[in-house]
Amino acid sequence: MRDGVEITSRKSGDFDWLGIAGEVDMHASPQVRKALLDALQPKSALLVDLSAVRYMDSSGVACLVEAFQTARKQGSRFALVAVAQPVLNVLRLARLDKVFTLYASLDEALAGGG
Amino acid sequence: MSTPSSALLPDSVGDIHWLASISQDFAASLSMAETLDNAIAQIMVYMEVEAASIFLLNAEATTLTCQACAGAVDIRGLSVAAGQGIVGRAVSTGQAQMVRDVAVDGDFSKKIDELTGFQTRSILCAPLQVKGRMLGALEVINKRAANACFDDADQQLLQALAGVVSLAVHNARMAEALVEQERLRRELDLAREIQRGLLPQAPIGEFPVCGINLPALEVSGDFYDFFALPDGRIVWGLGDVSGKGMNAALLMAKTISLFRCLGKREDDIGRLLATLNDEIAETALYGMFVTMVLGTFDPASGEVRLANAGHQPPLLRHADGRYEEFELAGPPLGVLPGMGYEIVSFRLGDGRLFVFTDGVTEGYREDGTMLGLDGLQAIFDAHARSTASEQLAAVAATLQAGGRRLRDDLTLLAIGR
Repeated sequence: MRDGVEITSRKSGDFDWLGIAGEVDMHASPQVRKALLDALQPKSALLVDLSAVRYMDSSGVACLVEAFQTARKQGSRFALVAVAQPVLNVLRLARLDKVFTLYASLDEALAGGG
Repeated sequence: MSTPSSALLPDSVGDIHWLASISQDFAASLSMAETLDNAIAQIMVYMEVEAASIFLLNAEATTLTCQACAGAVDIRGLSVAAGQGIVGRAVSTGQAQMVRDVAVDGDFSKKIDELTGFQTRSILCAPLQVKGRMLGALEVINKRAANACFDDADQQLLQALAGVVSLAVHNARMAEALVEQERLRRELDLAREIQRGLLPQAPIGEFPVCGINLPALEVSGDFYDFFALPDGRIVWGLGDVSGKGMNAALLMAKTISLFRCLGKREDDIGRLLATLNDEIAETALYGMFVTMVLGTFDPASGEVRLANAGHQPPLLRHADGRYEEFELAGPPLGVLPGMGYEIVSFRLGDGRLFVFTDGVTEGYREDGTMLGLDGLQAIFDAHARSTASEQLAAVAATLQAGGRRLRDDLTLLAIGR
């Protein structure tokens, strides 16, 4: 049984924060994709908290890639925060950890400037 | 008014015969439009009315459009809002509507009369529905005989007719859906055939590179390819497009075509991978990306050169049974332009190099356990004395054992004799 995905968002000063929790598979990824693209405003900063993601397949990775590409075109800042181990393994295997900006914690992300 | 016993009974027997003959027409018909036209003409004559029509709801159930009619004016194609007029009332309430004088019914819409010049005095209308699903309505207008009004017998007959017409419409739609499904099926078959044609032909004689690709669905997002250069070296590649289905298959077709075309011109495989990356990144959609390993093999010297874009590490089985993985890799193709890719080179000797997609290591054996890298190596070991293509066939057989449907596309490439 899949538990699905839970998405929470908040706005805090200079940046938007999006928290994704649960299992991001083929069924959940359209919802994740929409949330990511909706949250991305031109010239903004979006921090995506992946600390509570238990599983992510390639459709979930594609959502992150699309958000990353959209942010780049818009001149927005896009970073992943506190990436849970299962997701980190997937990103490392595909060498996407070299492409995305990753922060260990929210504090680190805020100190990261931008 | 005549008594039911004397007037209705003979008519009813006639009605049943007539209903049966209309039902047979529907059952024998292949064209819904023709059958409805024919039925509505019969209904007009038999029920002694000036006009009859069938209105069907559109897919969104927002408008009712006349699909068949008989009478002085042709209103086929004419639409009204789903809740409009007497026909709309029949559809929204699901009840037959008998209006003996439209002049005193507030819901009557003059729209059609104004458009056509027809003069409606009375209406009898029955909803068309199948299993609680509203399809539209069947309507008859103005009894022909002077001063005649619609009565309960007319309403019962029209409701019976509505049941027959509903089933005919429902069946015709099911038949149309089947035809459409069959058309899509044929298109998928064609796409699969074209995609298979993009993969390399099985080489004649002893060729030191071979591969297999088994799609989980009709079309695949995986691919492999190899071809010989004039100097005798062989260029090979294997890739996996993120996602499944037709969009993955289309990006696969683009990537394999670029690989085949650019691979014949670009000598530096790191630059070849970087060029592929830039080309795919330029038109990337929906975050789709491609993981790919490509390289060259020189049968004369035994030298292998390879570069990896985000794909799982290629696996070298040395002649003595030791395994070596090549971890060096850059990001997948299509994510970010301007990437560089480093090259690994080594002598193959009597070993074999295997490149494969995660559909292989994450595939299931007959007992339901995941194959994994260990399981894959165990199959290679068990068939170490076989040819490379026999080794690949053994992996495919393990993952297809018990007629299990594949979870993911399955693609392997082997380099070496």
